[in-house]
Amino acid sequence: MKEKNKNYVLRQLFKIWIDFDNQLNHIPMIKRLLGGKFRLEDYQRWLLNHRQQVIEGGRWIALAASSITHEYTELRSKFIQHAATEHRDYLMLEHNYLSLGGKAEEIQHYPKNIGTEALSAYMFHQASQPNPFQLLGAMFIIEGLGQRKAGEWGLLIQQQLKLKTDQVSFLLYHSKNDGDHLAEFEATLDTGILSIDNMADQIVKTARVVAKLYQLQLEEMS
Amino acid sequence: MTAPQDDLENPPFSAYDAAKGLNIMHKVYINSLGKFLPGEPVKNSEIDDYLGNQQYQSKNKALVLRQNRIKTRHYALDKNGQSLYSNAEMAAKAIRDAIEHSEISLSQVSFLASSTSLGDVLLPGLAAHIQAELGIGPLEIASLQSVCASSLMAMKNAYLQIKCGEHALAAVSGSEFSSRYLKASVYELTDIYRETGEIPIESDFLRYTLSDGAGAAILENKPNQHGLSLEIKWIDLKSYAHQFDICMVSGRSKDKKYWGDHPNAAICEQRSALVLTQDYFSLKKMIPIWISHGLDTLDRYDYKADDLDYFCSHYSSNSLKLDTLALMQKTAAYVPEEKWFSNLSTRGNTGAASIFIILEELFNSGKLQKGQKVMCHVPESGRCTNALMLLEVV
Repeated sequence: MKEKNKNYVLRQLFKIWIDFDNQLNHIPMIKRLLGGKFRLEDYQRWLLNHRQQVIEGGRWIALAASSITHEYTELRSKFIQHAATEHRDYLMLEHNYLSLGGKAEEIQHYPKNIGTEALSAYMFHQASQPNPFQLLGAMFIIEGLGQRKAGEWGLLIQQQLKLKTDQVSFLLYHSKNDGDHLAEFEATLDTGILSIDNMADQIVKTARVVAKLYQLQLEEMS
Repeated sequence: MTAPQDDLENPPFSAYDAAKGLNIMHKVYINSLGKFLPGEPVKNSEIDDYLGNQQYQSKNKALVLRQNRIKTRHYALDKNGQSLYSNAEMAAKAIRDAIEHSEISLSQVSFLASSTSLGDVLLPGLAAHIQAELGIGPLEIASLQSVCASSLMAMKNAYLQIKCGEHALAAVSGSEFSSRYLKASVYELTDIYRETGEIPIESDFLRYTLSDGAGAAILENKPNQHGLSLEIKWIDLKSYAHQFDICMVSGRSKDKKYWGDHPNAAICEQRSALVLTQDYFSLKKMIPIWISHGLDTLDRYDYKADDLDYFCSHYSSNSLKLDTLALMQKTAAYVPEEKWFSNLSTRGNTGAASIFIILEELFNSGKLQKGQKVMCHVPESGRCTNALMLLEVV
């Protein structure tokens, strides 16, 4: 049987990413952004919808950390650090919304859209499994968005809507802050988790599901 | 019904065998390659003499030539813009050249597949005209028309014809006469040129990139008895047109009207409907998709990039950005620079003919040794296609 090593996993993840990246360009809202036809209402709706997912993101990483057993203490530390750096990110996003004249009450009570519901439910279910390292597949997609797309989108939004930097800081911050993401990701794959039964395939499958649900979340915003 | 063992050693062929119920898959070999490059090599400083640009100073020329690194190319035009050959003639000459290098005679060819971006006439297909030039037949033909990747579409067609036993011997050609459509006189009648005095970059870029020529391969169900052959291990082609708008096009004006929808040929010319254009930004978006296809073949065919001895690409490694190279290294898909083999810089970019012309030089160079693996790569920007072919030297 073919060895499912680190190269294999990265190859599958990049294929999923490239396909996902390409699909994103066909989502009506992104299409408008790339075509220079993005409205302020689009950005506001984006922030309203996105906040719910960002809050849940910090929570599921924390839950995943608590599902990691003592054999993988190093990785648990990493998950806890990750949760700590991200769990207040949504406040920056709220600030961006308020700086556009939006009401705190509105963004704080905005319901999750269908895609966010599906994505959160899936992530919390996965995070509650013992040693849920398959979530690395999810992180690859979600952090990939931060690293490769957020900055590009943030700049386009800023230019088209003539906004100040502190009105798009959430998107711009994420592109700057995820610098060593890939090297760190590789190091994590090297910790021995790929010798866990079926883990390589589960990481790949989780990435595929998350890419699809994330796409749904963005489509629902459109 | 299972065929007896000796039939596998010396396989029967033809539809007649298939009709008898012999269900045999044959191995397929490229046994010979040929080329035809019209005229003398044309240097960068002479391009304008052939394309009739003496009156027109392009702003893009220096940049385009610096990027594509082409030093010489060939045109099937003389300096007065007169055609010296037809597309079909060039293809026929390349096939004859391949036959010259082979152990077979032209009359044994029973299947001919041609590839080109644009033949001499709108219809019928190019293969018939090549056949007429060669003066052989009757035979089965297939005319594959797209852009660069039509080369491997034709190759795959012939490969399958031989593999399944329908034919024992096939000729495959790739030929282009691009300069016909790049002459300054083609642009002078367009509204945009009359208004601005300039050829838009999406066309000008191609004028300093594309040139003319033909290449051909002879495929058989058995290897050469003297010298080397290239066994075709697989050919994999994928089109992503469901996700991409047209990128490289001729026959559609900027207002997206097809050439035939304009009232007459004169208006067609004015609206630049017959001008060849390429959308550079759309092209850049295709590169990750091509790489993704390459990654996919690593798993589906279970080969290692490290095991390849030559990577013949109708694409230049210096167009790949650093992050793309890093991605390929991390996924064990990287083929180091020293294994890339190309002659685009001396033979020019000849579209569908390029991969044949590249492979011809490698095959006839004396460099190849038994057991080596050669990957051929042909991306096509037309509407996003990528094709790969793995060969083993036997």
